[in-house]
Amino acid sequence: MKKTLLSIVLAAAVLNFAAVTVASAKEVTLLNVSYDPTRELYVDYNAAFSKYWQTKTGDIVKVNQSHGGSGKQARAVIDGLQADVATLALAYDVDQLYEKGKLIPQDWQKRLQHNSSPYTSTIVFLVRKGNPKNIKDWDDVVKPGISVITPNPKTSGGARWNYLAAYAYALKHNNNDDAKAKEFVGKLYKNVPVLDSGARGSTTTFVERGIGDVLLAWENEAFLAQKELGAGKVEIVVPSLSILAEPPVTVVDKFAKKHGNEAVAKAYLEYLYSDEAQDIIGKNYYRPTSEAAAKKYESQFPKLNLVKIDDVFGGWTKAQKTHFSDGGVFDQIYQK
Amino acid sequence: MMQYKKIVSALVLSGLVASPIIAFANDSAELEELRGLVQELNQKVKILERKDEIAQEIAATAKKETPVVNTTKDGFGFQSADGNFKIKLRGLLQVDERNYSNVGGLGADGKNISGFDLRRIRPIVEGTVYDKYDFRFAPEFGEAKTANATSTSGIVDAYVDARFQPWFQVRAGKFKPYVGLERLQSGGELKFIERSYVSNNILPNRDLGAAIHGDLLDGKLNYSAGIYNGVVDGGDNSTAQDTNQDKEYALRIFTTPFKDSDNLVAGLGFGLAATHGNFKGTTTASGLPNYKTAGQESNFFTYSSGVFGNGNRDRLSPQAYYYYGPFGLIAEYARVSQDVSNGALSNRLDNDAWQIAASYLLTGEDASFKGVKPSQPFDTEKGGWGAWELVARYQENDIDSGAFSSGTAAGVVTTTRYADPRNNARSAKSWAAGVNWYLNQNVKLALDYENTSFNGGGNANAAGTAGAGSFIDIANRPSERTLFTRLQLSY
Repeated sequence: MKKTLLSIVLAAAVLNFAAVTVASAKEVTLLNVSYDPTRELYVDYNAAFSKYWQTKTGDIVKVNQSHGGSGKQARAVIDGLQADVATLALAYDVDQLYEKGKLIPQDWQKRLQHNSSPYTSTIVFLVRKGNPKNIKDWDDVVKPGISVITPNPKTSGGARWNYLAAYAYALKHNNNDDAKAKEFVGKLYKNVPVLDSGARGSTTTFVERGIGDVLLAWENEAFLAQKELGAGKVEIVVPSLSILAEPPVTVVDKFAKKHGNEAVAKAYLEYLYSDEAQDIIGKNYYRPTSEAAAKKYESQFPKLNLVKIDDVFGGWTKAQKTHFSDGGVFDQIYQK
Repeated sequence: MMQYKKIVSALVLSGLVASPIIAFANDSAELEELRGLVQELNQKVKILERKDEIAQEIAATAKKETPVVNTTKDGFGFQSADGNFKIKLRGLLQVDERNYSNVGGLGADGKNISGFDLRRIRPIVEGTVYDKYDFRFAPEFGEAKTANATSTSGIVDAYVDARFQPWFQVRAGKFKPYVGLERLQSGGELKFIERSYVSNNILPNRDLGAAIHGDLLDGKLNYSAGIYNGVVDGGDNSTAQDTNQDKEYALRIFTTPFKDSDNLVAGLGFGLAATHGNFKGTTTASGLPNYKTAGQESNFFTYSSGVFGNGNRDRLSPQAYYYYGPFGLIAEYARVSQDVSNGALSNRLDNDAWQIAASYLLTGEDASFKGVKPSQPFDTEKGGWGAWELVARYQENDIDSGAFSSGTAAGVVTTTRYADPRNNARSAKSWAAGVNWYLNQNVKLALDYENTSFNGGGNANAAGTAGAGSFIDIANRPSERTLFTRLQLSY
């Protein structure tokens, strides 16, 4: 009888505790404004983080995603899209959140490891099955008659990485001669029949609409296209040289504070560096930054010569001003 | 873009492409060349299709972000793509030609003041922010020739209206207090060129304050409760700060109980409004009104110098309208009970006014409280004649007999009160008839004739003499007659 009574009391206590926990749990909604090809990555990551956060705090987190060309997304946030976090394609676009909106502190990049880039990627080629145009390196891409698909660097972060990778290749093979590098990328963009505003749009153009001989693509996007979007129809070609893309992440302090989401937004980004998240990153064909995950997925990624933007172009601010600002090199070489 | 596919198919199937295939079927080089040509054309078609697809995406995105410009019969305006911010530019222009005879019943022929008059010149900005918060800003550049006008321009309306719920809305700023029925009718939708004594002489015109208001019972019951700085009868408060210690409180309830039915009383509305305030004027700032004649150019009653408001001012106004087909009727009564003092003498005076006005649209349009929409705008080429409306009104404004001093046959004041009966009428009674021609919803021509007769107040120039002009035998002022015409543009 005593045991029964004790069991009842304990059960009541547990139920009461559970009820209190449920009653005190709150629902939190975050908005993650990201660039085009991260859709699948963040679908997986959001589920993992929500589970983690609920276990840790009892709160239920729902993460809404917004995707588009990285530059376009940055402008949307500056214009009032109230993102709690921004996970964009390149540091320059995140810088604009400080420069033009004062939405984040100037030293935002120091707040997380690896300059706030929890994953990296690079640019590769996606060609038709069997590589009928025999495209192996950047020199092949600029040949007359080759149809190249790449998005608009004015709106897409991936497109800027594409452009800079080609430019870096041209510099290397022309003794750092800027004029020849300009001529090289000029030839490349003469081969571009259509400019999408974002990387996912270009993938659609190449894979689904069947346009072009080669797609200049994010590595993760190329893997995704090869295995899922265009399985059996396309294959990846790795150029001899490409660029190390470091997509950064940041809490958008002003909006996160306004929503009362500062703590959860910060945790959301910090958890990207966890073992679980780094594994998700690898599974989604992004290059993990943690040693363990990098080693685990080492065989997945081709080994190639990767240059850094700081080394070749003097950093994003300089590269943006020289190449992508109005009247910059891209405007000079691209003929509509 | 499908046409490009058709072109390719046609080329393949037509003699242009098919003939060489048949003619040189064994020539593999030619076949390869043709295959390449078809592939090239196929790519070009796909590129054109994709460019069109992207252009449509860009256009769809741009449409979501592009402000919308509206130009309609209701005015000009623009709004943000998400509809959160709206601006409407409106205006009201009234060009009058006014003819007076015996202005104010004081014998003047009125020629010196007859002529053209810009009664209302109002560029109006209205808008809505975040769907629920309306605002209105209306300056006035007209009104130079109305009696007691202190300036020729000013701010008529400047307020914000927060529509939290249909039944709970809050308005604050300078606006028409929710009191008078005819006063709440827009200046561009009046049946007569000038409003009645009820609106112009008794009830407040505009005031500074805040009010809650809303519609209940599916819009059949409208209520409002407001607090205002307080204005004299017929007054239009300036935007200056309040000059007395108390506020004026106003309540109004108005119902249209049958409005959704289709019977004879569907267009019936009636209600009751009241105000209360407690004001203490001075001999130099009396806080008391003057009462204008129907022509708005002269006063028929003015309190004597040194008389001032000294206590409560309460107003009560039952009001109603009725519309059935082309027929319209508005009836309104207002009484103001005002505490006044003159030296050691104090009293509570009850002045009142009422009007009944009927309208009939000869061209058959439905009459309503909110203007007339001609079924056929005036257009000589298409044969439309606009809307024609006949209007008639009777109105009175009566002064409390306790306001007047009395005296001897020789005109000597024996009992000092608050107004001299020799030069202030005890009442004004006016009948009017007119015609309105609505050329379209925005342009109107109007013609009104109004005759005002007075009780007393006709011996001001003969005071102190025996016979005519004495207190015993105070003559009535001769009647005032006015003929007004108006060209109005409102949008």
